[in-house]
Amino acid sequence: MSLPEQSAFMMAWRIARRDLRGGLGGVQIFLLCLALGVASIAAVGSVRQAIDAGMTREAAIILGGDAEISFTHRFATDDERTFMRELASQVSETVDFRSMAVAGSERALTQVRGVDRLWPLYGRAGTDPEVAPNTPLQGANGEPGALMDPILAERLGLMPGDQFNLGTQVFELVALLVDEPDAGGSGFALGPRTIVPLWGLDGSGLLGPGTIYDSQYRLALPEGSDLGALQSRVEARMGDSGLRWRDTRAPAPGVAEFVDRMGAFLVLVGLAGLAVGGVGISASVRSYLSAKIATIATLRTLGAETSVIFGAYLIQIALMAVLGLVLGLALGAGLPVLFAPLIVARLPVPIDIGLYPGPLAEAGLYGLIAAFLFAIWPLARTGQVRAAALYRDGSSWGGLPERVYLFAIGALAVALIGAATLLSGMAMLALGMAVGIVGALGLLALAARAIRAIARLIRPRLRGRTALRAALAAIGAPGSDAVPVVLSLGLGLGILATMGQVDANLRAAIARDLPQVAPSYFFVDIQTDQIAAFADTLSGDGDVSRVDTAPMLRGTVTRINGQPAAEVAGEHWVIQGDRGLTFASEAPADGEIVAGSWWPDDYSGPPLLAFAAVEAAEMGIGLGDSLTVNVLGREITAEVAALREVDFSNAGIGFVLTFSPNALGGAPHTYIATVYAEEAAEARILREIGSAMPNVTAIRVRDAIDQVTQALTGLAQATALGASVTLITGFVVLIGAAAAGEPGRIREAAILKTLGAARGTILTSFALRSAILGAAAGVIAVLAGALGGWAVLESVMDSTFSFEWVSAILIVLGGALISLLAGLAFAWRPLAARPASILRHRG
Amino acid sequence: MTEPILSLKDVHLRLSSHAGPVDILRAITLDVEAGRSVALTGASGSGKSSLLMLMGGLERATAGQVCVLGADLGPLSEDALARFRRAHMGVLFQSFHLIPTMTALENVATPLELAGMPDAFDRAAAELEAVGLGHRAGHYPAEMSGGEQQRTALARAIAPRPEILLADEPTGNLDAINGAAVMDLILSLGDSYGATLVLVTHAPELAARCDEVLRLSDGRLADRPGAAA
Repeated sequence: MSLPEQSAFMMAWRIARRDLRGGLGGVQIFLLCLALGVASIAAVGSVRQAIDAGMTREAAIILGGDAEISFTHRFATDDERTFMRELASQVSETVDFRSMAVAGSERALTQVRGVDRLWPLYGRAGTDPEVAPNTPLQGANGEPGALMDPILAERLGLMPGDQFNLGTQVFELVALLVDEPDAGGSGFALGPRTIVPLWGLDGSGLLGPGTIYDSQYRLALPEGSDLGALQSRVEARMGDSGLRWRDTRAPAPGVAEFVDRMGAFLVLVGLAGLAVGGVGISASVRSYLSAKIATIATLRTLGAETSVIFGAYLIQIALMAVLGLVLGLALGAGLPVLFAPLIVARLPVPIDIGLYPGPLAEAGLYGLIAAFLFAIWPLARTGQVRAAALYRDGSSWGGLPERVYLFAIGALAVALIGAATLLSGMAMLALGMAVGIVGALGLLALAARAIRAIARLIRPRLRGRTALRAALAAIGAPGSDAVPVVLSLGLGLGILATMGQVDANLRAAIARDLPQVAPSYFFVDIQTDQIAAFADTLSGDGDVSRVDTAPMLRGTVTRINGQPAAEVAGEHWVIQGDRGLTFASEAPADGEIVAGSWWPDDYSGPPLLAFAAVEAAEMGIGLGDSLTVNVLGREITAEVAALREVDFSNAGIGFVLTFSPNALGGAPHTYIATVYAEEAAEARILREIGSAMPNVTAIRVRDAIDQVTQALTGLAQATALGASVTLITGFVVLIGAAAAGEPGRIREAAILKTLGAARGTILTSFALRSAILGAAAGVIAVLAGALGGWAVLESVMDSTFSFEWVSAILIVLGGALISLLAGLAFAWRPLAARPASILRHRG
Repeated sequence: MTEPILSLKDVHLRLSSHAGPVDILRAITLDVEAGRSVALTGASGSGKSSLLMLMGGLERATAGQVCVLGADLGPLSEDALARFRRAHMGVLFQSFHLIPTMTALENVATPLELAGMPDAFDRAAAELEAVGLGHRAGHYPAEMSGGEQQRTALARAIAPRPEILLADEPTGNLDAINGAAVMDLILSLGDSYGATLVLVTHAPELAARCDEVLRLSDGRLADRPGAAA
């Protein structure tokens, strides 16, 4: 009669408890692998939550008010101002635009913010020397004052008290701007910040009709205001004015989205680390249970059923998992607190480091599922141990587990991938990563088998090379550690290799290839009465090979075929915020028309437009559809007459929307120009244009590329940090494999010594086997990395992939080195062991 | 004649090895009557232990039939065999095979607990007393001598009062004095409630103390002598 379920569980519990008295020898790797994986996920999640909390706490400071209404190309009308004053207790007006700051012969791009006396409505600007809040920004002689980013001031050679120009207006640098309270809400800026009083811009000539600028009205609202209701009220009253609304519910959506995506990506990298750790968990459980075969066989002899034995060891593994989880969660929660000063200093956003249950629970869930997912396969083997193992070695310990266990493994894998897909908010990436990891594990398992087969094949041909032959014999032998080493190291290196390939390809595309095809400068804000002179100046310049110009306005796509744009095109980037628009009577030379036809030169019918073909397809727009754009508060509707190719990859002029001249020509506009010139002449061209047209802003493409490269470097560092945890876990697994193999190596060394092998030969053999396995894992990792990199670049980033050798060679060498280190760490005892004592004991 | 408690009919055992299949037992046919003691003797590698393990359901016959208490062990699953052993058999090994993480008392109590007996520990304590180890109940195997370990193993094997006691060279790892003491206990305790004993041994003097001696040679029963003295 079998035991009732409850008794079976109690019996399993009693056996487990007694068995655990033997200690957790050999499961340190299990604990470390699980703890590291859980800790990295918990730490990333905690930091992400801390940023969310910090941004929520300081939402009003980041935004510069409780709510913000902004316009493009214009300030609010008197009516609008009156309406805003009705809503808010205070309204602060600011304006934001790019310009050139000029000091003597030095000139540099700057992002200017013109502010009123109320700025900053919330928080306080950090300045050096200190400027009291709400003090008028004014120079010693009555000219407008300015606060400037220290980096920009240094570039221009300015000290507080010095003067500089924005357009035609002279400003005095009052203090350096050390901390700009509302910087987080401003989005991406190409130039460092300069803050000036609004009144100082009146005579600068920088805010003329058609010039690119945004005005913002920050509202201080009464306590407890219903932001949603207020937004509806504002949109109902001013909805067709081209306004944009933001409030403290999402003060910096761009930053929040970036933090969320980066955090989710790093959590996925952490999950990959957990998969690497899973190899260690599996090997560790296997090794733990191997030491328990006699106990299991004895229990079988005494009449214990499979359920009792499996239960007893499941309980032990569960207890270890709980211990690993607690360790990991403590580490994951503690690390951000420990490194709080460093994190706060490195991140440009407010951050409230603390204990957040949400991310810890998420990490715990992943860890718990992963622990059982990887433990069940070896655990299932307890059912295969027969009582006969007590008197005969080589009991039935191998082969596939029973179907019920395979089903459980499948269910746990689905649960883990499902949880990652749901909780990461990046479903496709999570699924892609899962497919990649499962595929890589399969590939690595096959590779490990192939390496063992090759080792067995080559070994007999290596007569006279004792060390190499012994190394290959060990790799090819039954029970060799080739599988855990190749799996763990290969997966860890594979993730690094993928990132290495993506990073190297992106850098190559941006820093190496782009400058060869990109223009030297973008010039913006060229007034209509300046464009002829601008073109004349440059066309006669021998160092300038090409100048392209186009009229430019900014506007927002509000409707498609009369319906709100978001209902038709979702969250497509073209309808997010305002976009550059142009008009032309002739089709641009470098954009093939793929459907429809361009309008005649003298076209005067209903407004028409040409749309970028790829984006049109993405948004579901075709010929004959109508688009409504809001320009300067005016709605203009035009029909799609042509679809054309627009190439954004060469950083030239590329507009998604080009209108017929009769649609936009009457609106105030400026010109944009791209100038292709010799690098050596760039500074001179900038000086000449800057002196003749002080209101024109120049954006040096090389500087922009540098800035993007810097941002990429930051991203690469963050992901490399995430991936390094994966590699550390891989290293722990290697240490585990090396430790598990130590008794075998001690015996092998003893026998080799008895046969006359010198210690040098034995050491060389140990080193060779580690290096061969490590390098093999590296080669597989590079192949997997190339495949992963190709998939990411071609399908996700719409870029082209080329194999990057430097990254690949580093990965292979790194693999060999790491494996060598782990192997040699456990080589000394075998080398030092005395043959007599070892062999006598073994009999 | 009463029905045999153990009955083997044309039993073969073939195991696979790297060098190819090896015949361990060939055409073994024998019956053991209830309450008797049988010694299995023979040279090393003759198949004694394997035969004992077949009787205990620890090993499965490649061909032939092994019946214990009228039940054919062949079709039984591993779990069914475990339950069968729990109910009817005790096994004693040369290397004791006590569970190292359990005390002597817990080792003895385990089969009783597995059988769902509520007074497992009281009965285990009594069994330990019976083998003279009441004072060692709280000790772990590593803290006991070989003789004490084997006496604990004996207490564990007979605690559930099995109808059959299988002993695989139970004195093989013990010196002469301890070996004789353990053997005395095996015979006396088995006798005390009428258990059937099958004993694998190299020692003729131990075999001579059994009712019947069977000799194996190269996996076959070499001869069928009558009952010993």
